[in-house]
Amino acid sequence: MHAQSQKNSQSFILMDKIKQYYQSYAYQLSVISRFFAAIVGGYVFTSVFTALLSLILPLKKSDAVLLSISLTIFVYSCVFIWVFAVKSLKTIWITILLTSSACGLSIALLKGWL
Amino acid sequence: MKESFFRSMTWMHTWVGLLVCWLLYLIFFAGTISFFRDEVTLWNQPALHNAQAPQERISLQRQQIIAGVDYLKTAAPESNRWGIYLPQERESQLIYAYEKPRPEGKRFGGWQEHYINPKTGESLQQPRETKGGNFFYRLHFDLHYIDVRTARWIVCFASLFMLVALISGVVIHKRIFKDMFSFRKNKGSRSWLDSHNVSSVLALPFHIMITYTGLITLIFMLFPYPAMTAYEDGIRGLFNDVTPTNVRTKSSDEPAPLTAVESVLDQVYTNWPNADLTQFAIKDPNKASATITVRASTGTHVRDQTPTLLFNGVDGSLIAKSVDEFSSTEVFYDSLTALHTGRLANPLLRWLYFLCGVAGCVMIATGCIMWAKRIRERMKKDQRPSFGLKLVEGLNLATLMGLPLATSVFFLANRLLPINMIERADKEILAFFVTWLAVALFALFKRAKQQWILLAWVNSIACISIPIVNALTTNGNIISYLLNGQWALFSFDLVCLISAVLFIVQVKKLRTHRQASVSNVRPSRVAKNKLREQSA
Amino acid sequence: MSELLQFSLCLLAFNCFALAKFNHYRDVFKVRPTQKQSNQFVIAAWISILLSLVLSVVEHKGYGGLLFCGYMALSVLLLMIFYSFKASWVKFMSVINITTIFLSGLYISVF
Repeated sequence: MHAQSQKNSQSFILMDKIKQYYQSYAYQLSVISRFFAAIVGGYVFTSVFTALLSLILPLKKSDAVLLSISLTIFVYSCVFIWVFAVKSLKTIWITILLTSSACGLSIALLKGWL
Repeated sequence: MKESFFRSMTWMHTWVGLLVCWLLYLIFFAGTISFFRDEVTLWNQPALHNAQAPQERISLQRQQIIAGVDYLKTAAPESNRWGIYLPQERESQLIYAYEKPRPEGKRFGGWQEHYINPKTGESLQQPRETKGGNFFYRLHFDLHYIDVRTARWIVCFASLFMLVALISGVVIHKRIFKDMFSFRKNKGSRSWLDSHNVSSVLALPFHIMITYTGLITLIFMLFPYPAMTAYEDGIRGLFNDVTPTNVRTKSSDEPAPLTAVESVLDQVYTNWPNADLTQFAIKDPNKASATITVRASTGTHVRDQTPTLLFNGVDGSLIAKSVDEFSSTEVFYDSLTALHTGRLANPLLRWLYFLCGVAGCVMIATGCIMWAKRIRERMKKDQRPSFGLKLVEGLNLATLMGLPLATSVFFLANRLLPINMIERADKEILAFFVTWLAVALFALFKRAKQQWILLAWVNSIACISIPIVNALTTNGNIISYLLNGQWALFSFDLVCLISAVLFIVQVKKLRTHRQASVSNVRPSRVAKNKLREQSA
Repeated sequence: MSELLQFSLCLLAFNCFALAKFNHYRDVFKVRPTQKQSNQFVIAAWISILLSLVLSVVEHKGYGGLLFCGYMALSVLLLMIFYSFKASWVKFMSVINITTIFLSGLYISVF
């Protein structure tokens, strides 16, 4: 009985340690995830968004491409700042993934890939 | 991610800025010098110092082209490419060039150039082998030793961080415009903050413009996707659509006589009366596939695409012509690139660009110094500096003081290395990087105020020695440049001297502040000086 | 000459913006500005800066806009130096500035 409680408390200590470990690195992890979302997520979103833009802008083909190309950096920096402005990481990832796939899907439909 | 929008923007500004500030300093520093690329190249080629564009520069162009084609016909009838580069306001020599025979397996054999003084028509001595201002131009986005593509990706991301830092900087300094003209002297990190703010606010439109347009110049590498979705053959399809003169012809070896240059020129001047031509290039001369490309200057129009005419080289007919009237989107896109390169700028605007570029360097330099100062100020007396702080301080010293010194050494090497040395241009560049490496190693061991003072002295001596060495090794000196009105060379030497003075000011400031143990404002100045000196 | 006019207008504008600020006014004139004075300075500043912008853009189109950005940078730099290190010289500088505007304006209208 005595030994059991000791074992129990030991595993508690282990759990606690893991938790502590996670907590002490949670901040770093969230920062890394945020930078990743800003750089890679922002890049992916900007790519599909501007690609879609170049298809749907009601201009001559070359004009539509040039205009969407000129706007890429603007879009990218807006997304970047938005990622750092929003509190919840979950919201960020979900929004980026959803909007990017929506844009990607519309491109696929417009180009008739599906 | 922090409690408030304001706090998270501050956090982001600090860390995004700190991550890339040294690279950004390099990019801004090299870019600022590149605004005077042609002038720096001229300074590096003393053999061309005496060439001056004649008053009636434009009206002579027709004759220069005809003479050039005659020269090339006898000098290199077998060559694959001929080029005639006409004197411009910033590059006053006339150049007849042809491609040297291609070595086995190479696609290009390199240019053999023949320089001519357009005023007298006499040939000029072959200038020494140097990269000159082009070295800084390439360094600005190719970072020299790294593979070009990787380097450009790195530069792109650094610029993106810069843009983000700029926007968040405006957000966090709501009071930025209120305190625009005040500058608190000798107040430790407060003064650094003020110089950071002033240098960013005073050229804020420039900073945002130059960062945004800089990214636009590399946009086809960064975001090829819009073009890839809209065009079957991607970027090439877009280019063919936008630039009608982008015609590719297959080379053939079948001989055919070159068309009469006069008739081609007649067509050029009917298309563009009073044109200021820059280039007259012939591909595959004396062959059936010969083409002639004629380019004109864009003048001060905010436009990057050069007006171009493409002729068939055998029958002299016009194949393609660049668009005269752009659509509004094309104007928008094209002007972004034109704004960045600043090729349109007249001397006044060029100096203003330069001034803003220097402000950008100061902004970055003060930013990274401020971070280190703040941490130091917050530290307790007996606390040991962390590795991160030591790293930042070391990089600060190595970059902020090392880069200007390396640049001075580059120019000194240009004058002091033997003229006929093998691979001379590479040796100059080696001198640049070896110096920088030496400063970095020095900063590895010690980076206290004493070392800043020492490096400021070394820098000021290097700056002063540039005009002196120039006067000793070439026929001209700063006084003769002033008397002869050679403004490019005169300003170069003058900027070196001004930088030297500014470094001495920095030494003085650092000295007086050492006793008071208050941080000083000057290192930013130093950076400024360096830049100035370089760019002239 | 027209560049000089545009630049001095820009400089005047930022000078007025600075003088509209309580601290800077006190540094230069040693007295407090009234609310009305501050407002007048702000209005004068806006008129002057818009005039400078319009003149540059009318004369050089897009290139003029670029020049104007450069003028702003140079003006703020000059004013920052004056206000931070030599506040007592601001009066003389302002007089010179206004004279330049008149002279260059006169020159342009005559020739």
